[in-house]
Amino acid sequence: MAPEQSPPGARIRGLTVVYRTPAGELPAVSGVDLDLAPGTITGVVGESGSGKSTLALALLNAVQPPGRIAAGSVEIDGLGDVVALGGEGLRRARGRHVGYVFQAAQNSLNPLKTVGKQVLDLGRSHGVEDVRGLLADARDLLGRMGLDGARVLDSYQHELSGGMRQRVGIMLALVLNARLVVLDEPTTALDMITQATILRIVREVHAERGLTTLVITHDLGVVAEVADRLAVMYGGRVAEQGPTREVLAGPRHPYTRGLLGAIPRLVGDIGEAHALPGRPPTLADIPADGCVFRERCPLRMDVCETGRPPVVVSGSRSAACHAVRDDDGDRPAVAAATGEDQA
Amino acid sequence: MSATIVPEAEAGAAAAIRRNFWRGVWRVMRRKPSRMAGALILAVFALMGILGPMLYPDPLPRDTSALYASPSLRHPFGTDFEGTDVLALVVTGTRYVLLTAVVTAVITVVVGAGVGLFAGFRRGRWDTVLMRFTDMKLTIPGLPLLLVLSTVWKFTAAVEMGLVLGLLGWGGVARAVRSQTLSLRERGFIEAARGLGLSTTHIVGRELLPGMAPYIAMNALIAVTGAVYAQVGLFFLGVLPFEANNWGVMLNLAVFGGGALTTTAALPYLLAPLLAILLLTLGIVLVVDAMDEIFNPRLREE
Amino acid sequence: MAVLLRRLAGHVARGFVMILVVTTISFLIIRSVPGDPLAARYQKLVEQGMAPDAAQRAVEALYGFTPKGGLWEQYLDYMGGLAHLDLGQSLSVPGAGVSTVLFSAAKWTVIPVLAGTLLSFLAGVVMGVYAAIKRTGVLGDLLAISGSLLHGVPQYVLALLLGAIFTTLVPILPAGGTADIMIDPGFTADYIGSLVQHATLPVVTYALAGYGGWILAMKSSVVTVLGDDFILAAELRGMKRSIIFRYVARNAILPLFTILALSLGLLFGGAIFIERIFNYPGLGLMLIDSVNNRDYSLMGGAFLLITTAIVVANIAADLLYTVIDPRVRSGGEAA
Repeated sequence: MAPEQSPPGARIRGLTVVYRTPAGELPAVSGVDLDLAPGTITGVVGESGSGKSTLALALLNAVQPPGRIAAGSVEIDGLGDVVALGGEGLRRARGRHVGYVFQAAQNSLNPLKTVGKQVLDLGRSHGVEDVRGLLADARDLLGRMGLDGARVLDSYQHELSGGMRQRVGIMLALVLNARLVVLDEPTTALDMITQATILRIVREVHAERGLTTLVITHDLGVVAEVADRLAVMYGGRVAEQGPTREVLAGPRHPYTRGLLGAIPRLVGDIGEAHALPGRPPTLADIPADGCVFRERCPLRMDVCETGRPPVVVSGSRSAACHAVRDDDGDRPAVAAATGEDQA
Repeated sequence: MSATIVPEAEAGAAAAIRRNFWRGVWRVMRRKPSRMAGALILAVFALMGILGPMLYPDPLPRDTSALYASPSLRHPFGTDFEGTDVLALVVTGTRYVLLTAVVTAVITVVVGAGVGLFAGFRRGRWDTVLMRFTDMKLTIPGLPLLLVLSTVWKFTAAVEMGLVLGLLGWGGVARAVRSQTLSLRERGFIEAARGLGLSTTHIVGRELLPGMAPYIAMNALIAVTGAVYAQVGLFFLGVLPFEANNWGVMLNLAVFGGGALTTTAALPYLLAPLLAILLLTLGIVLVVDAMDEIFNPRLREE
Repeated sequence: MAVLLRRLAGHVARGFVMILVVTTISFLIIRSVPGDPLAARYQKLVEQGMAPDAAQRAVEALYGFTPKGGLWEQYLDYMGGLAHLDLGQSLSVPGAGVSTVLFSAAKWTVIPVLAGTLLSFLAGVVMGVYAAIKRTGVLGDLLAISGSLLHGVPQYVLALLLGAIFTTLVPILPAGGTADIMIDPGFTADYIGSLVQHATLPVVTYALAGYGGWILAMKSSVVTVLGDDFILAAELRGMKRSIIFRYVARNAILPLFTILALSLGLLFGGAIFIERIFNYPGLGLMLIDSVNNRDYSLMGGAFLLITTAIVVANIAADLLYTVIDPRVRSGGEAA
């Protein structure tokens, strides 16, 4: 299918998502800025609790209670600000404009219905007239991903393997011709061979259908494999972002460096891999002021206790760290030096 | 391991945990006043069971000039067919009801937890046999079996009654404890303890049981409720000889002797024990609800 | 299909063992009655001048097995009779076979209990969904608490309260029996009206007693399904609310069907208190009468019937699950 028009881009600005807890409202995502350029694959990497899944849900204005989007906007081309959407408009946007692919380990299908029937439910929900055409599209998509489409449409969830379920998930996200696709942990809980297959499919389908893709993962390898751009999240904030190759080749934020240093290489001494000390913060112990990473940071300074790190921009890259300007001599963006809402 | 060789620090930590636990209990209780009411109701019933019979002369005085008297200041729930104060009957009857319930609960918990632990711990053939037996017990309908049993065994004494109900009722606890044990096993818990060189007694007594204790305690409370209903019901049906003062006997005499379902005279006599049962149920439901939240941390955060 | 048959075979075998155990229990109970009624009866008949052979046959006819011979022989005789569905003669209803007595009592139990169960199931399921959706509100709380209370209160308390209200305080319903004895039985409006009137209290009591359990079960089932990933997935795919609601309802009600099948097993034995209180001549009242009259053969037969119903319901529940849940049907792992 040739892209008739350019794929939609998305701009996330100052996005803050809070969860209501007995200790008050705690931010899971705070003040995130992120651009999804049309036609690119963006990877968001973070440990569990970094807020990456919440960010993905916020893209569809689907943060589940007790969470809510407290501030910010998510502008998607052709849709406008998703945060302002609600009711039927929001429902129609989901699935039609933005496809969401669940983590493979999760059961994203109704266990009591065949895949085909669920495709029909999807069509009915979005007012698709040509039901046969929809099923044919579904079959073709599955066939494109190396499955026996007719058989899969006739199957129940429990009859499918993890890799097959994941491809069914991708099919359901694309069958209504959504051009912006979010994949949440697309390879988690799959074996190595299947992981490679799924990533290949993601790349190929992305190119063929002319998509804008967001991949959420905890695995730097996945991002290195598919993503054009990379954003590293920590404690609900974007620590560093930029073109994948450049960030991986020369990480600036100490957290990105720590992550890369923790990966054992195939060649060389395993002792060279150093795990990051400490644990990622949970919702309850994310520091309210200063840098969220300071507890585990080798470059910790006094200013990290109080000041929110400025976003240091250089070219197409940026990093939010007090130490970065000292280290690299990059000049911080003037506005960001004081900006509380810019990080 | 004896308590004397536990280092001071550890004992201190244990005490702190216990203090925290009680603080948690207090918090959960305070959050919903109804739970306090539940605990209070149970306490009043316990007091009635212990002290009740001492409050009244034995046998209870009869006022032959006031048979089936209406409620009055002197007789808040009226009198029965021989002129005995109904309230006094309910209060003195509590001991029998609660004593049976406690015996039932003890047997249910001890046998149920024992069988469940054994089956889950040993697995294999023992497990299969014990669980088949438990299934069978769970299938046989309890009340009809009790009725049939009542023709061969006169279990009218409170302890005997508790024994029968307990022996008939441990199946559910056994199933639950077994599945808990198995799930701990699956998580490698028992193997890990073995690896540390801990004895079976220690693993069961110190590691497994404390984790399940809340669960077992809740089941014990539910067993208490079941026992109260069953015994009162059996006496109400009139298949057992009336021996002691008992709520079930009162119900039976009110309905089948006093005709409480056709005339209003015996209504207070019928309603008093019913009210007692309802209150006791309410107390237990409320306390179980509180325990649920105390022991199930997932429910705590709403 | 093969899975279905294998499961069925296993269940039938287990059910058979179960029934064997129950009959053995009732045999032993009859045998262990203080004073051995069989021997006593035999003795009495012989003393009355009956020939030993004739006396033995008479006792045999009464109890369904011969009192002569060792315990084992008697047991085989008793079981042999059962194999021919011969439950012996009732002692308290002269001249009637146990099966006849059971059969005539069964209709007074099965129809009201069935009506009450279905009524409570429907009401409980609907209100359970509602309680789950409104679980954070006051109304949801109220529904759940009323469910807990109704579920917690024993049947006889409900029956007595309803009885006290509707037959004594506001006497609008009859206190007992199946129909007004002044009305001739027949297919007349009067008689049927009277039947319905008399059945109202038992059915309503049964429905109320069951309702609490259903609302609690449905609520917790719906809450569980609402938390399942595929519901969020359906939402994120922009599925219509009505379709999502159907997804939730179908998945949530599935386990309840099994409980329904199991509870139908209690059809025969579930109404003992209610029948006693409203003097309704079903199996429960008959069991109590047989206990009070020490009619051991009738008692054994009733107990056997009640247990068999439960065993059959267990098998039916499992098969039902196999049919309605595709995960079990294909023998795959339950995901």
